[in-house]
Amino acid sequence: MSYLHFIDTLQSIADGVLFGATYSLLGIGFTLVFGVMHKINLSYAAASIGAAYASLIVLSVVKAPAIFIFLLAGLSGGIIGFVIYVVCFRFIPQANPLATLMSTVGALLLIDEIIVHATVGIPVPYPALFSDVIIDAGPFTLRGDLMFMFALGCLSMLLLLALLYRTKIGIATRAVAQQPVAAQLCGISIPRINGLTFVITGVVGGIAGAMIGAAIGVLSPLLSLPLTTKGLIVTVIGGLGSIPGAIIAGLLVGGFENLFQYFRGVTERDLYVMLLLFVFLVFRPGGIFSPAAGRD
Amino acid sequence: MDFYLGLAQIVGVHTLLGLSAYCVLLTGQVSLAQAGFFAIGAYVGAMLTVLAGWHIVPAIIAASLVAGATACAVGFPALRVKGLMLVVATLAFGEAVRLFFFNFDYQVAKGDVKIGPAGGEGFRQIRFFPEHGWSTLDVLIFIWLFVALVMGGLWWMDRSRAGAVLRAVGEDEVAAQSAGINVTAVKVAAMTVGGLIAGLGGGIFAHYTAHIEHAQFGVALATFAIAYPILGGLSSVFGTLIAVVFVQGFLVEGLRFLGDWRNLLFGGLILFAMNVRPRGLIDAATIAAVKRIWTRNREPGNARTQGAE
Repeated sequence: MSYLHFIDTLQSIADGVLFGATYSLLGIGFTLVFGVMHKINLSYAAASIGAAYASLIVLSVVKAPAIFIFLLAGLSGGIIGFVIYVVCFRFIPQANPLATLMSTVGALLLIDEIIVHATVGIPVPYPALFSDVIIDAGPFTLRGDLMFMFALGCLSMLLLLALLYRTKIGIATRAVAQQPVAAQLCGISIPRINGLTFVITGVVGGIAGAMIGAAIGVLSPLLSLPLTTKGLIVTVIGGLGSIPGAIIAGLLVGGFENLFQYFRGVTERDLYVMLLLFVFLVFRPGGIFSPAAGRD
Repeated sequence: MDFYLGLAQIVGVHTLLGLSAYCVLLTGQVSLAQAGFFAIGAYVGAMLTVLAGWHIVPAIIAASLVAGATACAVGFPALRVKGLMLVVATLAFGEAVRLFFFNFDYQVAKGDVKIGPAGGEGFRQIRFFPEHGWSTLDVLIFIWLFVALVMGGLWWMDRSRAGAVLRAVGEDEVAAQSAGINVTAVKVAAMTVGGLIAGLGGGIFAHYTAHIEHAQFGVALATFAIAYPILGGLSSVFGTLIAVVFVQGFLVEGLRFLGDWRNLLFGGLILFAMNVRPRGLIDAATIAAVKRIWTRNREPGNARTQGAE
């Protein structure tokens, strides 16, 4: 392997890890909902893309600096998250996991179709921030937009962890995740915490959607299904219900994905990501941070 | 008229797809791999008729067996995990199969042209039905023969001990295990039967569409496969059939006059159906009610015949 080849390999891994921050955020969304409700929200990635679209629409009406797009995407993501909670989870019996799974599939189709309907199916350009900034670090180049995305992703993860571990709402959320019955006996309203979880994950997903839009430079409804798959893979590799696991798995999947793309081309890239998942399922079925055994 | 015949063909193939997921769902597992087995069946069946020159019946049976064997092989590692992990594992398997066929290039020169699956371009030379002069009606009867066979088999199985075992595993795995049921064997068996049915459906699908490509077997098809039995309710095989008619006949074709708004309604109606009837369109209560009406109408009839004697 020549020197240049080696540098290119490292470069592609670095770019992949930086982009992996978005996968981490998506994985956190799936993991949080699973941890609190033990349900899968398949419409999550579509809702994230929908929030990014909504932020574009708001920004086109209200004149504001482009950087506000992340804030707007987070806000609209929170609203969409709450709507999804009400229509997919609130009124469906919780003892029936298949019904909620199906209703989130319905929401996924609905959000995709709303996007297609609103944009006539044409991909929409997203304002690329810092794309002209390129930092030279020795033989490597670091793209400004990816660096900014990574920093923003880390910031939102830190804020989320602070929210979960330092505030009363966070304690209540974690209590419901650990022992719903005991939490209810302590006076915590489970529907309220579930709804709140959806709002929190919606905000995180909205930021992730805006980051994806800013990194790729274009938004399309075709993004939602591949992102759903990637987010679920990140959740499983990281260990169900584990936030640090989702963060590390997101960066790992991002790095591996770009590495495979460098070596085998874009058509075979995802095939190897699936194989990576199978390797984890066979050798470490619980994921990187498997939840402690023997707990409800 | 041809439109309705074509619609009935689509309903038949999708019923097979839904029934394959029904089998697996009975044991309480959600499998998104059915689209993958469907793709394997489609490609194997089409390659056997086009490249090897087989008749369609042995070809789709072979396709079904290949898909079933794959399902059995996938079942063992995949069933070590449960719940969300299984959903993701099977989803990843289905996507891996799709991406395999996306990169699968196996073309054979036949005369001047090359035939066979060509990676991203798909597999276009499947012309068994037109070459053998089958009319639309013949194809329709052929499809529904298999649908009736599979539905009858599953209906019978539901009433036998095997159905009780499957449902026991689906209702409460731990209780089933303590009753002496080998849970792993039951799950792998259900997965295998699901794979067999999906492979059969895939083989038929390849021949009536005449052109298959990787994009047809994506996550969307996999979610449709589990949508049919869940929407229809897991109490009876007929629920799946009714859900397919509801989705394909009513939502996809019947609402076509609404134009762009149809697709919006589609997701919304699934949401609405799940909110109103979380246990499916035909649940245990509906079946009990139908049975009650059925027996009430039958009993006076019986009395009359007895009186006549």
